[in-house]
This record gives sequence, C-alpha cells and structure tokens, in this order.
Amino acid sequence: METKRGKYILIGLSLFCALLIGITSVRDGFLTPLRTGVGYFLIPIQSGVNRAGTAIYNEINNYGRLREAMSENEALRAQVDNLIEENTRLQSEQFELQRLRELFELDQEYLQYEKIGARVIAKDSGDWFQVFRIDKGSRDGIRVDANVIAGGGLVGIVTDVGANYATVRSIVDDVSRVSGMAQQSGDSCIVAGDLTLFTEGRLRITNITRDGDVKDGDRIVTSNISSKFLPGILIGYATDITTDPTRLTKSGFLVPAAQFDSLQEVLVITQLKADLEEEEATEEE
Amino acid sequence: MKRILINLLLMILAFAIQNGIFPLLPFLSASPNLLLILTFSFGFIYGKLPGMLYGLFAGILLDLFYSGPFGFYTLLFINIGYFNGICTDYYYEDYITLPLFLSIANELVYNAYIYLFRFLIRSRMDLLYYTKEIIIPEVIFTMVTTLVIYRFFLSANRRLEELENRRD
Repeated sequence: METKRGKYILIGLSLFCALLIGITSVRDGFLTPLRTGVGYFLIPIQSGVNRAGTAIYNEINNYGRLREAMSENEALRAQVDNLIEENTRLQSEQFELQRLRELFELDQEYLQYEKIGARVIAKDSGDWFQVFRIDKGSRDGIRVDANVIAGGGLVGIVTDVGANYATVRSIVDDVSRVSGMAQQSGDSCIVAGDLTLFTEGRLRITNITRDGDVKDGDRIVTSNISSKFLPGILIGYATDITTDPTRLTKSGFLVPAAQFDSLQEVLVITQLKADLEEEEATEEE
Repeated sequence: MKRILINLLLMILAFAIQNGIFPLLPFLSASPNLLLILTFSFGFIYGKLPGMLYGLFAGILLDLFYSGPFGFYTLLFINIGYFNGICTDYYYEDYITLPLFLSIANELVYNAYIYLFRFLIRSRMDLLYYTKEIIIPEVIFTMVTTLVIYRFFLSANRRLEELENRRD
C-alpha cells in the first residue's frame, strides 16, 4: 500500500513538473511573485554565506597580495610617468577631435548610460552554466534585459529579476548570443558563448560577411542592431579570424574584455535598449 | 518535526555554500554537487517517499535560482530521491560502498540529464569534450565529498533520532 502510494505521488509530481516546464518555457512571468517571495528569505542567507566566505578567502590572500603589490607598485610608478606623457599628447588630440566633430556636426557622442553597482553573491557551482546572481533587484531599478558590465567590458544580461536580486547570464554561457560589430569598420558579427571554449577564456565570432573587414585584434563592440544590448559597449578583441569552408562567411574567436573568473562587483546599466528605441521613436514623431 | 526542520536548514546551507563559496575558490576546477549528495543520502537512509519530498525541496531551490523553465531540476531531484529510496532495503549503518556507488550513478544521471535537455537539444554534439572537462571532474569531486558528507549526515540524523526517541 505504502509503496503504491509513493509511486503514484512520484508519477503525479513528475507530470506536474513536466507540465510546469512546458508552461514556463512559453511564459515565465507568472512565477515572478514566487521567486521574489522566496528571494526575501533566501537572498540574505546567500549574501551572508558569500560575505563570510569572501572575508576568509581575502584574508588568506592578502599576505600573498602584499608581496605582489610591492613589486607591482614599482612597475606602476614607471608606468604612471609614461602615462602622464601619453595623456598630455592624447589631451591635445582630444581637443583636435572635438574641433573636428563640431566641424562635421557630428553629434555621435558616446552615450553615457546610467549604471548602478552590484555585488555578485552567488554563482552556479557546476560547470554547465555560466549564470550568477547579484544583490540588487527591481527595487534598485534593475529590469529584465538590463546589460551588465565589469572591467570595461560586457559581462552579460539580466534574465530574471526579483525585488532584491537579479540573475545574470554571462556572455560566456553556452546559449548566449550577442550581436556585435567591429568598432573600426562597423561590420557586424555574432559573438556566441561556447562551453568548449570556456576553459581557454574565449568566445566564438561567427557570421562575418565574406568581405567584412574584421581583423585580428579589432575591438568588437555591441552592435546598433541588437535588440537587447545597448550599442557601443566593448565586448572584447577579435583573434584568429579565418574564412569558413563555405567561403561565404568568416569566423573566429573573441577574447573578452571583462575578467570572468574573478567577478565580484559588476555594474548594471539601468537603461534598456527598448527604452532607447522608444525615445528615438518619439523624437521622430 | 525538529529533525525535518534541521534537514531543511541543512539543505539551504548546502545550497548557499554551493553557490556562494565554491565559485570563490579558483583552484577548484570543479566542485562537488552538495544538493545531490544530500538528496540521495536522505533517500537512501529514509526511503522512497521522504527521499522524494526532500528531492522536491532541493529541486525547488535550484529552480528558483535559475531562470528558465521552472520544474527542470525539481523533476530530476524528486526522481533521484525516489529511486535512491529503493536502495534503502540494502541500507545498514557504516556501509559506505553502496553510497559511493550511488553518488557516481546519480552524478552520471544528473549530468546526462543536463546534457540531454540543455545541450544536445541545441545540437551540441561534443559529448566527449563535456565528459572530459565537466562530467568526470564533477563526478570525482562529488564522490570524494560523499565520503565526508554522508558520514556526517548519517550521524547527525542518528543523533536527532535518538533525541526524539528519548523524549517519547
């Protein structure tokens, strides 16, 4: 009797799960209240455990870092001198650029996006997925599809948000696809995460047209035509670009600008690409 | 009652450690799957129905963590809890060979499930690479951790049981 009941419950629950998977694959929205509710309880725990772990880990690391820092300090001093010199040169060039821009009436300034900082409090510990969770959520103005950056480069996109947390899928995740372009030539490409390249720290670049001008070392930024990513965010640098066997397209690899193995703090851009498009639409009217 | 509560807290703690601390350790190329260990240990010790319910709890935690289809992990974990519960007939104390064997079997099932429904479905065929780089390291880590966790988990539950019996 006991075993039969167990079997029925198992089958029932399994069917229920399968049904739920089916529904949520199509529509994810109606579970948000549940996720948020559990978030209120779970996030403080995750946050606390993470904080304790980080504290202990940093303490151990600090001594080693001190020695590194001392030698690094010397090298940096030398670099500062170089940079000051370079900076002066660049500044004069910047003035020149400004004059030229005014001359050509170019108003293509780099868009200054509004950003907020967040701490990474949890990561998927398995190696299958590259998703992580941050400690800011809809309360702080983060919405689904918000772009996440760190270290000057694109890190990922918010896929799910609760009141006090948000889940971010990084661009190195196997399902990630980012529409990008070479900054110099403006030729478009697709930057795709690939688990088999993850340990090498690279991503895949595909769909460059045959005569597209993308060379090794080119800066790849997010493209204007992307529906979710804001334009002009640095993704990384192209490398090993070759022509595909079909001779119709070129592909290669990308070294990301952001460091993915040591992410602790990230910046979330609160402005969405969808907002940008809306603004433009109203301006045109 | 108290035992159930403590076991649930243990699961939440394991979840927090797995997601909050393991990723911080850069020298861990793979990390043990604590939730899986707890679920199958519980099923193995207490039987099918409790195992399934404990798996339900673990699955919901994971499903809430990941965005995407809800129920993906729950479906797997209730089945893991249930089917490991079948082996409870062979359970006796201080018997570590079977739990070790179970940990390997469960890890393989877990990883095959993810590969099948999240990767193969998008026609990623490179199973050999995934096996070498992801599955085998995780299986080994989980197996080693099972040695420690299972004994701890077992003795903790035994002690709680004794406390409860004494009160009756």
